[in-house]
Amino acid sequence: MNTSNLLISADNLCASRQGRLVLDHVSLDLAENDFITLIGPNGAGKSVLLRHLLKLETGQSGSVTHRDGLKIGYVPERFQIDPTLPMPVKRFLGLNNELKPDAIQTLAAETHCEALLERPLAGLSGGELQRVLLARALAASPQVLMLDEPAQNLDVSGQLQFYQLIEEIFEKRDLSVLMVSHDLHLVMSSTRRVVCMYHHICCSGAPESVARDPEFISMFGKDMAQMMSVYQHSHNHDHNSENEAAS
Amino acid sequence: MITPVLITAATLALLAGPLGCFVVWRRMAYFGDGLAHSALLGVAISLLIGISNQLGMILIAIAFAVALIWLRTQRLLATDTLLGILAHAALSLGIVSMALLGMEDAEVHDYLLGSLDSVSPDMLPILVLGSGLSLGLLMRLWPGLLLMTTSEELAHAEGVPVRVYEFLLMLLMGVVVAGAVQLVGALLITSLLIIPASTARLFAKSPEAMGVGGSLIACLSMVIGLPVAEQMAVPIGPAIVSFSVALFLVALSTKLLIDWAKAKRAAA
Repeated sequence: MNTSNLLISADNLCASRQGRLVLDHVSLDLAENDFITLIGPNGAGKSVLLRHLLKLETGQSGSVTHRDGLKIGYVPERFQIDPTLPMPVKRFLGLNNELKPDAIQTLAAETHCEALLERPLAGLSGGELQRVLLARALAASPQVLMLDEPAQNLDVSGQLQFYQLIEEIFEKRDLSVLMVSHDLHLVMSSTRRVVCMYHHICCSGAPESVARDPEFISMFGKDMAQMMSVYQHSHNHDHNSENEAAS
Repeated sequence: MITPVLITAATLALLAGPLGCFVVWRRMAYFGDGLAHSALLGVAISLLIGISNQLGMILIAIAFAVALIWLRTQRLLATDTLLGILAHAALSLGIVSMALLGMEDAEVHDYLLGSLDSVSPDMLPILVLGSGLSLGLLMRLWPGLLLMTTSEELAHAEGVPVRVYEFLLMLLMGVVVAGAVQLVGALLITSLLIIPASTARLFAKSPEAMGVGGSLIACLSMVIGLPVAEQMAVPIGPAIVSFSVALFLVALSTKLLIDWAKAKRAAA
């Protein structure tokens, strides 16, 4: 991989929680225009890895390097606002940054939040809140968008719409996406690389090759692997034609 | 005498309004109580080593905040349990030391419930300056503190130094405690923070509106409560708090009435 287009690079990261090693020599690179989906069982250390990549925590050993001036938009896994805090969506989007009202409008239009701007944050539904958090993550025009299980509290159609929105943003904006998600079948068409982890990186690569990896099959079972190859097929097609068009 | 005290009380109230919002939003009421109780230990210590009461209380407030933050990272006990231990330890130690230092019961009583007699006039300009500066600091920290209250993780990821901000917020509460102990009394200071903010919450549509509303309501309680208490020769703290609770009840019933009328109109 060409080092000049690297945005984030984790090298041999180790970290523990309550005396247990949750990150065991993890190395991961995120380059320009990457779309990585991070999968793994519960407690595999996915969120911990994200927190390290964001430099919210530092590990016992290993390193995380950001490209100079790198901006990361982050959608955290848990978000709970106290209802006693009267926070209109509009105010939240412009909070602690210098966003002008028309920039907030544009941002809201991009993430389908226009109708929510005057509503209080505490009264939003799960899907609405995720879109607002996405808008907030995009506010600083980041080069990297990191999402931690962004659709886990949404119903199926909500999930579908949310992932479509992520795809749209990935295509329109010049950014890379790193997402923790279990809904691999829904993000297949945009995912360039799947990274499967359980404390260490078990396997990684294009979705089709990961689905055939014995470690992946032993972790998620044959059904998941099969389901992935089904979705894989149409994805392969799209991806190739896209590449041809580009070249 | 009363006018300089009123001005001091009003500046403290201006600070207590927006600060009280954070106490409500971040559920720090119990922490405020602990801080206020520990103020008595601060008074005892300042008597012992011969510094001003306010300085002693601020120092103890800092020690209290640091002890709490440190103990919390140890994850031995839940935060409210830790606060209970710290607060009552400081309250008991404070009262025992005050008695050992020869303080009269009546004087201890004044620190618990507030009294104009215990306010030293030469401290007033310093208190006004202190609350003014604290208000300025709070306004500077406002956007970051708000983001951090909305989501600590998001604030952290966007580069807000959350631990520093958290400590500064506790320090500002220490300033209010140190300034208000002699007026309102250690037992009632938290109400000066949370009642005006809660009253403003009933009608506020934005965090700023709640902060400004809290300031105005706290000021009103002080400016009316103080002279009335002096006139009627009742303890100041309870008088001020009773008045602000009355304001809260009026606001609450108005709000309920408006909501009821709206619901009725919507149903019709």
